[in-house]
Amino acid sequence: MRWIFLPLGLCALVAVGAHAAADVVGAQVLWLVDRADAFFDAIFSRWSFTAPLVDLVGLAERTVFARGVALVWELCADFFIALPMLGYDERPVDEELALFRALSRESGKRPSLRLVRPLAALATGIAGARSVARMVQGSVQLALHFSALAQLVAAAVLLSLLVLFVPRAALRSLEHADGLKRPGVVAAVVLAPLVAAAVAAFLR
Amino acid sequence: MTRRLAIAELLASALCLWAAWYHTPAGALLRSVGARIFAVRTSAQPLLAYYSAGVYGGRIAAAPALAGPVPPAQALGYGVQAALADLDAGERTQLGLSSAQPPQIASQLRALAVRLGSEEAAVLALFCGEEPARYARDHADSDSLEDLARQLPPRYADRIALASQALMLGGAYALSWPLPESVHITSPFGVRDHPVLGGRKPHNGVDLGVPIGTLVRASGAGIVRRASSDSQNGRILVLDHGRGVVTVYCHNDELLVRDGQRVDKGQPISRSGNSGRSTGPHLHYQLDLAGQPVDPLRYRATKPKVALGAED
Repeated sequence: MRWIFLPLGLCALVAVGAHAAADVVGAQVLWLVDRADAFFDAIFSRWSFTAPLVDLVGLAERTVFARGVALVWELCADFFIALPMLGYDERPVDEELALFRALSRESGKRPSLRLVRPLAALATGIAGARSVARMVQGSVQLALHFSALAQLVAAAVLLSLLVLFVPRAALRSLEHADGLKRPGVVAAVVLAPLVAAAVAAFLR
Repeated sequence: MTRRLAIAELLASALCLWAAWYHTPAGALLRSVGARIFAVRTSAQPLLAYYSAGVYGGRIAAAPALAGPVPPAQALGYGVQAALADLDAGERTQLGLSSAQPPQIASQLRALAVRLGSEEAAVLALFCGEEPARYARDHADSDSLEDLARQLPPRYADRIALASQALMLGGAYALSWPLPESVHITSPFGVRDHPVLGGRKPHNGVDLGVPIGTLVRASGAGIVRRASSDSQNGRILVLDHGRGVVTVYCHNDELLVRDGQRVDKGQPISRSGNSGRSTGPHLHYQLDLAGQPVDPLRYRATKPKVALGAED
């Protein structure tokens, strides 16, 4: 059964982390959309033939548009880093460590944009672990009304995910990035801000 | 040892899947597709509602007709009552609010706010219970409902949505009018014949006919989210009052505040004008709740008179 639940668990962990990261920057995305909307409205409204474009993202649509941007960003991140987790193939620990060292050494020799993927997988994995632990803590606390137990369970979950899952997510992403023919400029553009957002989500 | 580790990994995987299933748009997408295939009901929210911790998602509850002016101290009580309008009698009884009126709800909220430290936590306590609200308050970074909601497990999602509706509607009831009440409405909210473009088009706010240079006041405390100019909206101000409440003021002659500035309720923010796509001096005043324009008169007992022969 491990061949199915480990890849699924890794994929889910990264997806939870990507959502935590996308959610934390909601206000900033809205701010950016507002700035961009004001900028383009000022330009498009100068000429009668471009004036209808001002209403394309009107005042009423900007919140939906900003949330849509966050959603598309998150789904792209899921595509670039969470889906490849389904290809995780478990090996003995010493083999995984050796593979990790070899891939890290290789990437260190010729650093490229493809390194953004494992970095993002690592950051979202950590943010996801924090998010899952927080949900578990809330559920245990509000079901059993026992604060110390809830904290203990959450700490155990966080530690388990950080030790058992996050390194595997980084390794799988490194392995996947190494197998790519192109460095992936689009993926790097999508994932680089996600790394910062995931760090913010973890620290929140 | 290996067996124990395998069990730990299985449990960790199950927890990750549970979190992703209930807490991410991707999970909601899969749940919706699954529900469609197997023709069953799903509790998945709309995808965009997964941001801001599910706050301000879905439709806006209908505002009941007001019998008289809303005292500012009771605005939140009216907001709760309006949010409850969507629930059936059984659910209202379960919350202990089956026959409560806004003044009683407001006083209950004040007592809860004293115990929990904020209005947001008080409203959350009203809908989710005091223990979850206390837990959320103890673990959240701020008093905002988004932050409080992030601390609670997925089973509270529906109640959090109700709490956000109550806070938002309470915020709408608490707004004042940006111009003297004696100013007439020259074009009401709703679909109308567009005076410049022609054809039936929605009008997302109300137009208030005032001479150029009339002082416009902030209808509530908030932050200037946008202070810009274009040839459609003219000199435009967008104020974010928090809790999903935003007001918009278009066609101004002069803006008195700048982007990012914090403003108080009643503070002069602009001088009205005739800038942008406008056929006469007026202020276009718009109220957005959760990003959707609504008729600002729905949240007022005293309504300005509508002028005859009105146009934008």
